[in-house]
Order: sequence, then structure tokens, then C-alpha cells
Amino acid sequence: MIRIDISKCTGCKKCETACAFFRSGRVNNRLARMKVLNLYETGLDGPVFCIQCKERYCLRCPEDAITEGSFGELIVSPTRCTLCGVCEKACPIGAIEIFNDIVYVCDLCGGRPQCIEACTEGAITYESDKRKSPSLEAFKKGTARMNPSQKRNSYLRKMGSSIRKSWRNKNA
Amino acid sequence: MLRYGYGGKVLRIDLTDRRYSVEDLDPSWIKPVIGGRAANTKRLYEELDPDCDPLGPDNILIFAIGPLTGTLLTASAYYTVTAKSPLTGILGDSAAGGQFAAEMKLTGFDQVIITGKADALLYLLITESGVEFVDCPEYKGLVITETTKAIRREQKDYSVQVAAIGPAGENQVLFSSIVSSGNRVNGRAGMGAVMGSKNLKAVAVRGALSVDVADPLAFLSEVEKMDKNILSHKEYEKRYHMGTTMLMKDLNNIGILPTRHFQEGVCTYVDEISGQKLARTYKVKNKSCFNCNVHCSRYYVVDDHEAEGPEFETLCSFTSRIGNHDLPLALEMNQYLNQVGMDSISTSEVIGWIMECQEKGLVHPEDLEGLSLTWGERDKIREVVDMIVFRRGVGDRLANGATKLSKDFSEEARKLVMQVKGLDVICGDPRGIKAYGLTYAVASRGADHLRAEPYFELTNRKEEAKKRFGTEKAADRLSEEGKAALVSYSEKIALLTDSLTMCKNVGLCMDVLNFENASALLRYGTGIDYSPDYLKKILADQISIDHKLNKKFGLKRKEDTLPERFQKEPLTEGPTKGSTVDIQRMVKEYYKIHKWEE
Repeated sequence: MIRIDISKCTGCKKCETACAFFRSGRVNNRLARMKVLNLYETGLDGPVFCIQCKERYCLRCPEDAITEGSFGELIVSPTRCTLCGVCEKACPIGAIEIFNDIVYVCDLCGGRPQCIEACTEGAITYESDKRKSPSLEAFKKGTARMNPSQKRNSYLRKMGSSIRKSWRNKNA
Repeated sequence: MLRYGYGGKVLRIDLTDRRYSVEDLDPSWIKPVIGGRAANTKRLYEELDPDCDPLGPDNILIFAIGPLTGTLLTASAYYTVTAKSPLTGILGDSAAGGQFAAEMKLTGFDQVIITGKADALLYLLITESGVEFVDCPEYKGLVITETTKAIRREQKDYSVQVAAIGPAGENQVLFSSIVSSGNRVNGRAGMGAVMGSKNLKAVAVRGALSVDVADPLAFLSEVEKMDKNILSHKEYEKRYHMGTTMLMKDLNNIGILPTRHFQEGVCTYVDEISGQKLARTYKVKNKSCFNCNVHCSRYYVVDDHEAEGPEFETLCSFTSRIGNHDLPLALEMNQYLNQVGMDSISTSEVIGWIMECQEKGLVHPEDLEGLSLTWGERDKIREVVDMIVFRRGVGDRLANGATKLSKDFSEEARKLVMQVKGLDVICGDPRGIKAYGLTYAVASRGADHLRAEPYFELTNRKEEAKKRFGTEKAADRLSEEGKAALVSYSEKIALLTDSLTMCKNVGLCMDVLNFENASALLRYGTGIDYSPDYLKKILADQISIDHKLNKKFGLKRKEDTLPERFQKEPLTEGPTKGSTVDIQRMVKEYYKIHKWEE
């Protein structure tokens, strides 16, 4: 599973650019399977990915179009998927988003994640031990009415609050 | 026809009638112009009434990006904003990095041309489907990041990028800026005031179109070659660590760090205000513009203040240039100026000029409603900056800039304004960097280094100088020889970076962009055939358009000069001791190269 250290992220979006380009030969953040946010008023930047959470809210797909691959990655069946949007709504952190009739979610690039190679800062790493899946339960509350972008914003702010505290302590 | 690289559309917005229209980008604007700054200058040349009031509805405010903006090209994150400058009355433009340009690219509009004046404060939301005019009276007085946050919340989309003005732009301070991505600034020549005069609080962009290049794999391979040169560059570590603030010590070491308003070039307390000190003490992380490998920007926390930056210009402007020893004050000012949207260089020039003139008895407190300023006086500096932002008291006069303010005073005082064509000189004493001196003198927006950024002069490469510019002296910072050739080379690369678009720190200072790889990038990017010679020709043509446009604004040859201080008064200490600039010799040579009439 992908692990992010947002304290190292500079917001350059090389990961997002590489992600979109690898699949499509194009650059467009909507074609990326993860999204980077720059929250200028906080100094926080960070990519939001599927982190293969314990709960797997997205697997409640009514069409059984989403399955788990051998590395724990999500595989979306384009033939079964009816674009109902249940997965997009269920994910608490906005890691799944439908754009132009395609479900965009990280699938680890089939085993060689381009984002990890693109990141010069070491902010993105790979964790192979599936038992270390984090829980997103604490982030689920209050997200029912949010769109994916709003969920990413809320998630990144929460993840970043301890980093912001450490900045203050460093310079206290 | 699908145009690779380009979005292929031009957007025209009339704020008076709240209407917009979309045009196809005409082929005559593609191959011979490229885009970005070059396209903006051409647009102004063709469409602007040169006699118009820069703060009236007839002024044209243009945002542009280039064919390679937002592609995989490293540091391709730039956009240029152009209008007639209210500060100088001539061509005004200013570029910025960050994330705005790459998102603008996804709207499909290569150029956005804004005219008229809105009847009430509004912002524009530009997407691939067009423009929304959003009234925002409640945003009046809002600072930059709060404006961005409010627009994103309102649009329920945190990928929206915003270029906004703050209170300084709303109050039409003549050197107010436009700020995007929180702290990336279109700082110079008062573009913020033009936005303010149009009642335009912000331009927000969010696109859904994709950037296609003609030959993705060949393009990628060109980009990878360039990335190798960037990552192995001998300045990489330094730039990564400190960004442009590395120049505090670098310039001081050669005796050209503006100190006490250019009276000195060596700052004895540089270690207290250096990039090294900033990185060691207050930096908490690196920041980056879109798709860049250098990550040269920084985020800092100090006391109650936190922000991105500062860049060298702001750091020097609020430390040595005004005799301030206190680094935290400069960091506070960086945050404040970028939040209220005001150019740090021109703000510092007003303050520094008053400080020097009051020290010399040329300007008295009673001439300025009791304002007295001495070097490094912290509380006074804070207070006077605030008065300028809100045009409060004497701040109303100061908000017109040092050049206009000086007209109320003696000739001796007027001569002490460090400006060319009404634009305040940047931080770098030309007495010790002659090619920069020439750049300040001939730059089409006034005293500015970015029109050519002849950083080559500082890199001590004699053989390369002989090869490129015909004389080893081009690499000698104290010599006038070969500098016209160096500047006329660098100004083409500079225009190329502004037009492709790409960052100058990477493309020009790190010397990784040249006519050969630019031709290849353009060819694989746009599918249009470019050769190095063709590029040189069109870039020279476009530089002549700058020149012709400024003639329309009434600019004369004699204004291509430097303040008298740099020509006649040698610096008295340090490695640049004894040097002055023979500016006329260089300008003459420069005109000869361009075949312009004297």
C-alpha cells in the first residue's frame, strides 16, 4: 500500500502529473488516480491516495464491480460498473472519483507505482505488509454530504494538524 | 484543428457588460509568437489605445500562458499578466509561478483578455465551458489566502487556483501586485492596481481539458535530458536549500548587496539576515511550483507569522536595503506584503529613498505630514507600509511610488530615486554587475533584471564567454565589454522562458535552456517545426515590438539609462570598490546589435 509523509511534500504535483501521463500520455489532474492539494493558508501540501484502509468502504459496491487485487489494490471492472457513484460517496477521504465516466482510483500501476519514482522528496513510499492497513473510521464522520474534493480537503487538514504543531514547537 | 501544446482558444471578457466571447487562436499568433509574454505584448501593441488611462476601463489586462505551460516540462509553471502600467505609464507586465498557470492550461484558453470595469466587486471563475461573473462584495478587504479559501469553499472545489488582489490592489496602490498560489506574486509594475481599477477581486481557474503534446515520448526524452542537467547542476543543492535567498551572501561576497539604499554594497551584518540563517532557523519545509524538480521555495514559521518565501528580492528589500538587521521583521513583511498584495521592491524603494533623503536633509518630516524614517526602524517601517496599503495620511502620496513622490522635491532628491523609466531598481548594485546594469537600463518595463537575467556574468566561465559572446570579458562582472552581446543573448532566452513558459531560475540562471533544446521541445510539444535560427529571429522581432510599443507610449532613447549614482559615484568598500557603470557605451552597442535608431 502507498504511504504518504505529507511533512515532506512540497506540492510540486510531479506524482499527479506522472500518474496521469503514465496512463494517458496526457497531463490533467482529473486523469490522475490520486490528487494533490495545496492548502496555501496552512502551508500544507499533500497527495490524497487510496491507502487501502481497513474498512474498505468502497467494496460495498452494489454491482460488485470493485475487487481487491493481490497487493490489496482496487480493481474496478469497467463492464460491471454502472457509474452509480456509491464508491465515490463511501470513501471518506475522496480517493475515488468519477470523471468522464471513468472511476479513478489508485491501482498501484500494476505493481510499479509511477508516483513513487516521480517524487524526489521521499514523501511517497510503499508498504507491503497488508496488516498495517490504517483505519479511516475516524475520518468517516461528517463526510456524507461532501464531494471528493471537500473530503480530500478535510482529510489533509486533519492529517496536517500535528505537522503544523511540530512546526510551531520547532521554532518556539 | 487540434493544436498540440496549445489550448487553441482566446477568451475575451468585458467586465462592463459582463459578457465574454471565445475566439480560435489564429495561426499568425502561434508559430511566430509562441505565446505567454510575447503574445501579451503583441496584443497590447495591436489593441491598446496608448493614451488610455491605465486605471480606466480602456486599459487591457491580459493573462497568458504558453504552449508548454503545464506539460511535463520541468518548471513550466509560469503565466504573465500584462497591461499598461499605472506606475510607469509604459508597458507593464509581471510573471509568476505556482499552480495557477497549469490549471489555467486545463481551461483551454491560452490568453484571457479583460477589458472594461465592473460596477461592483466581483471575481471571475474561468472553466473550459466559459466564464462565471461572481459578485463578491463581502470579499472587500480580504487578504490573498483568505480570498482563495473563500472561493474554493464557495465553489466546493479545492483544486481551484486563484490569482487575487488584496487591499493594496483594491486601493489602487500604484505598485500593488496580483498573488496566486498563496504566495506567488506578479509583483512588478502595478498589475494589482489595474485589477483593482476594474473592480476585479480575483481570477479563479479550474479546467477539465487535458494537455496533449504532439509526440509524448520524444518530448519526455527531451525533458529527461534537461532534468539530468538540473539535478546534477552545481548550484542544485544550494538552490534547493535556500532558493534565491542564497543571493544575500553571494552578492555580499562580491560587494553588490544593496545596503542603506545603495549607498554601500557590503552589508556588515549579512550573517544575521542571510539565506543560510533563514533556512537554518525558520524554514520548516520546501515548497515547489508545478512540476518542478528544484523545490526552491520554502515555508517558514516565525513568532505569529508563517508564509511561503521570501524570495531574495523581498528579503534584501526589507533588510540591508533599508538598514534593517532584524530577519523576523523581513519575514513578517514578506507575509504581510504578499497577503495585502504589494510589490516589496517598490515599497522598499519609497522607504529607502525617504530614509536617505531625510538623513541628507533633502526631505524633512514636515514635507511628509510629520513622517520621519531612519534606517532599520522597525515599528516605523511596519506603520508606514500599512499607511501605504490603505492610502492613509501621507501613505496616500507614498502609494504612488518613489518616482512620482519625488516630483515634489529638489532635483538632488529626485536623482536619489533608484529607478529607470519609473520602475524601481531591483536588489543588485549594477556597479559590480555591468550586464545587469545594461539590463536595467534597456528593459522594456523599466529597471528590471528579469528581461535578460544575465546570470552568466556571475558564473566565471571565460572560455564559454569567448565562444558565445566573442570575448572573455563577458564573464568579467566588472567589465562593460561584451555585455551588450551577453544581454541580447540572454534577453532572447528570457523571452523564450516567458513565452514557452518556464521558470527563469531554472531555464536561464541554471543555463539549461538554449535555442537547440527549446526548438526540440517546441517541435515535440506542438508538432510545429522550429529551428534554432528561426527562434532567434522571431525572438528578436518580438523584442523590437516591446521597443515599438514603448515608443507609442512616448518613451525616448534618453530614458535607457541608469540613475546617476551608478554612473558617477563609486562604491567605497569591498570587492566592487571604485567601480562605476559606463552605461552609454553599453546602450550604444546594444542599439547597434538591434539595429535600432539612436
